[in-house]
Amino acid sequence: MSLPKFDLLQPKTLQEACDVLKDNRNGSIRILAGGTDILVDIRRKIIPEHLPRCKGCEPGSLTAQTAPPPPKLLVALSRIPELKGIRIVDDEIRIGAMTVIAELCQSEIVKTHLTALYEGAVSLGSPLVRNRGAIGGNICNARPAADTLIPAVALNATLKLQSAQGARDIPVSEFVTGPGKTKIQSDEILTEIIFKIPNNRSASAFYKLANRKALEISIVNIAVILTLDNEGAVTEGRIAMGAVGPTPIIALEAMKSLIGKKPSDDLLSKAARIAASEAKPISDHRGAMIYRREMVEVLVHRMLNETVNRIDLIKGC
Amino acid sequence: MKKIIKLKVNGIEYELAVEPNRTLVDFIRKDLGLTGTKKGCSIGDCGACTVLMDGTPVFSCLVLAMEADGCGIRTIEGVADGNKLHPVQEAFVSEGAIQCGFCTPGMVMTSIALLKDNPHPSESEIRRAISGNLCRCTGYQKIVEAVKKAEEELRVKS
Repeated sequence: MSLPKFDLLQPKTLQEACDVLKDNRNGSIRILAGGTDILVDIRRKIIPEHLPRCKGCEPGSLTAQTAPPPPKLLVALSRIPELKGIRIVDDEIRIGAMTVIAELCQSEIVKTHLTALYEGAVSLGSPLVRNRGAIGGNICNARPAADTLIPAVALNATLKLQSAQGARDIPVSEFVTGPGKTKIQSDEILTEIIFKIPNNRSASAFYKLANRKALEISIVNIAVILTLDNEGAVTEGRIAMGAVGPTPIIALEAMKSLIGKKPSDDLLSKAARIAASEAKPISDHRGAMIYRREMVEVLVHRMLNETVNRIDLIKGC
Repeated sequence: MKKIIKLKVNGIEYELAVEPNRTLVDFIRKDLGLTGTKKGCSIGDCGACTVLMDGTPVFSCLVLAMEADGCGIRTIEGVADGNKLHPVQEAFVSEGAIQCGFCTPGMVMTSIALLKDNPHPSESEIRRAISGNLCRCTGYQKIVEAVKKAEEELRVKS
């Protein structure tokens, strides 16, 4: 299990990195963020059965059935200071794409305003993965169960993509097109993940259902944000569901059923049932389709309740 | 293409030419001959290759040697003070936290980093901190006890 041969560049500025990627027409150049996924994926597989596969997907679609050729060049972003850090700018929280997961776990800003993202970060991988893995890498890898991607979808993050031609913004909810597939172009770099600071009548929550407490991939994960008005009725919100479809799924109908109403337990449990019908889970070694759907209902209900409780707590003090 | 990197390992400055696909664990074990750091799964699952990179525990199998250029690395060889074992090592021995010993260097590095960040961890904090280091022999109980004992030792010392 050795690494294939490749060259490595370690640009010190974003401009330099973009210039290198300009020539990346056939995808032979790849970006190295934290390395916790790519340095595993590009290893030569000794046993053919260990090639990436995804039984639930249509043959030949979305997921690679054969190993892609190894990259000729890796561009490491770890030495570009402008890609790191968590800042508040006006009414936005801007997280640099190379900010490591451990930093999200320690950030008071993230914990207070983006609670679902904090809870996702805390449950990602193991401490050693969190010390190296970057949020930008987790999002661009676009695994349907990614523990920072699902909260980012619920919190309606915007991604800033930069290339030598310029920058563009794209909502994270539109970014992922399939397992491991996104709308990022081969010459673009994800530079920032931008969140509007939720207003003070909002709260968010995240739950990861898994067999172990560490180094685990979710069977189902759920992120929820709710905003209530002065009378306690729901004004807006989002339910994002992970590992129950080829991309993160937003339970639009479930959320519609809540808008304008006061969240009673009955209302929330009905919304959770609608969310379960919106999930498109498959059966695999982590869980059966029917189990996953059932768990979506249980966990969406639980997370809706949790967010309502958290909003009550904020109002209490 | 090979490039020259300069880094400090256990306080000693090294300057060596490495290939881009050289991982930090292979650099430490093969180029520097420091075989105390173990290579287990080489895909960031087992934690046997844990070293401290600028004080932070990382999987050295998922760090390229070139990425460690300019960094300070601490391996298990740099933990003891001459012939005197580090309190964490001492506790691992006295509590029977070592059986086959393959996970021990990584486990010790993680524990040292934990006790530096959080000098008085609770049992759940210890278990969480070592959750990226797999041990197939001990069932973790003795390791947790060893970290607790090391914590007491270090508390008495300070």
